[in-house]
Amino acid sequence: MIGDRTSRAHRYPLAEEIPVEVLDAEVRRLERLRARPLPLRLAGYLRLGGPGFMNAALTLGAGTLTATMLAASTFGYSLMWLTWVSMGLGVFMMMAMARFTCRGGFAVVEVQNRYHGWIVGSMMTALVGTVFVGLVFSFGQYSLGTHLIESLTPFLGFEFPRQINWVLYMALTTWLILSYGRRSGGGAQRVETAMKIGILIMLVCFGICLLVVGVDWRAALRGIFVPWLPPGGPGLDLFIASSAASIGVMDWFFFNYAGLARGWGRRHESLARFDITVGLFVPFVLVNFIVASVFAATLFRQGLQPQTAQELATALMPLLGPTWAPVLFYLGFLAVPITTTVAMSIATAMGLHAAMGWQPDTSSWRWRLSALLPQVGFLAVWFPDPIWLIIVISAFLALSNNIVGWSFFLLLNDRRVLGADRSRSYLWNLGVLLQISLLNSVAILYVFNRLGWWA
Amino acid sequence: MVGVIDLERRAGPFSWRAWGLIVNFVGNTVALYGAAGVLRDGSGWPALAAGLVITVLCLLVLAIPTPDPSRPDDG
Repeated sequence: MIGDRTSRAHRYPLAEEIPVEVLDAEVRRLERLRARPLPLRLAGYLRLGGPGFMNAALTLGAGTLTATMLAASTFGYSLMWLTWVSMGLGVFMMMAMARFTCRGGFAVVEVQNRYHGWIVGSMMTALVGTVFVGLVFSFGQYSLGTHLIESLTPFLGFEFPRQINWVLYMALTTWLILSYGRRSGGGAQRVETAMKIGILIMLVCFGICLLVVGVDWRAALRGIFVPWLPPGGPGLDLFIASSAASIGVMDWFFFNYAGLARGWGRRHESLARFDITVGLFVPFVLVNFIVASVFAATLFRQGLQPQTAQELATALMPLLGPTWAPVLFYLGFLAVPITTTVAMSIATAMGLHAAMGWQPDTSSWRWRLSALLPQVGFLAVWFPDPIWLIIVISAFLALSNNIVGWSFFLLLNDRRVLGADRSRSYLWNLGVLLQISLLNSVAILYVFNRLGWWA
Repeated sequence: MVGVIDLERRAGPFSWRAWGLIVNFVGNTVALYGAAGVLRDGSGWPALAAGLVITVLCLLVLAIPTPDPSRPDDG
């Protein structure tokens, strides 16, 4: 029955900006797409998808890309298998979020508060796992984004120092952040389209750079399909950290709320799964693969190992050859912090509203202020990252991510919560449990390291 | 056999599934404690093996989906 989950009574407040007729038309379009040949169906899903791309933008940030560049500069192609394995494991939990959104029709934090207490819901999931992360990690995005603008503009014939260009960065990201959920901006879809374009820019720009430097396909294929880790404790550390870092609480939370904001219901679950696979998994793996290949073919061969994103980008430039190649690299790289800042800010606003029990209303000052809180990251232009704050938040995250994972796994299997729509799949549960065990390992290793027990 | 295991039944304050997650966490801890010993001086094999066995058993049992309620008041 069309409209079974699109009645206003069941809708997340942000979705109320979307007229019921539009939601029903989307459901009818999905029904028609199911009967179309595969290529047409995929193209239709690609147009209708969005929250998955938002999640890709969120997770493909300065931190992830810096880690990929560092790993490729140090170990060449050898660690490329980690990308798809870690994201592949994360997909199981994301599918649980799709189930909560489409079949459960609920906002997870409310349900966590009801069944597992507000410490797990409002505090660990919304406040620490989403809001604090959004605030703290926005510094890294600003630092990288303004540096890239400063480095890019001399190629265009003028200087634009970061002490000034942060205004441009803030204006662009603020416009996109505040467009989210506005009726005049096409609801959430304008921002989702911007995220899709951002990811496309990354793929095209980095892809062309890769064509310039070339790929050692033999080494790349070995790196993708043959697992290898540096020997000893550091290798295990690297595996666990990479596996757990690809997707975390913020990503789980955001997919649920971004889906609700789109008015997704029962009929959207196949679209949501497609969105997780094609919008999140594929771009994440492809962008990481391309960036790692560029650095494996250049800095790794030269034996150069810079430590920060800025140093990595600067060291790469002379190795890219013709002038337009560095320009493309900077452009692609610039899309990384911009899209992450936008997605992270929207997630922060959703997290703060969920934690405080506020009704999200994108036309309210409360929403706007919440969404613009991460813009405090502009201070990174003058000051170094707040290391002490990053350490505190990272500690909280390391010790609480797994508890949130436990909570979602219990909800997925709880017949009081999902009734007949709970997980019926042994393999799905097993996949979620593997990710939970990895998150447990992060928490345990964090404590072991503090106690000096870990080699 | 597997179909009749209902991990949603409560045992004290938590369901069996929640208790299983706690035991799995203990198994993970024991395995990593053993791994630390192995990496340091090769002494942690028993703990590593015990932790891995606990972890694997927990994963295999906890992955069992919740069955349909046998009585109306179960749901």
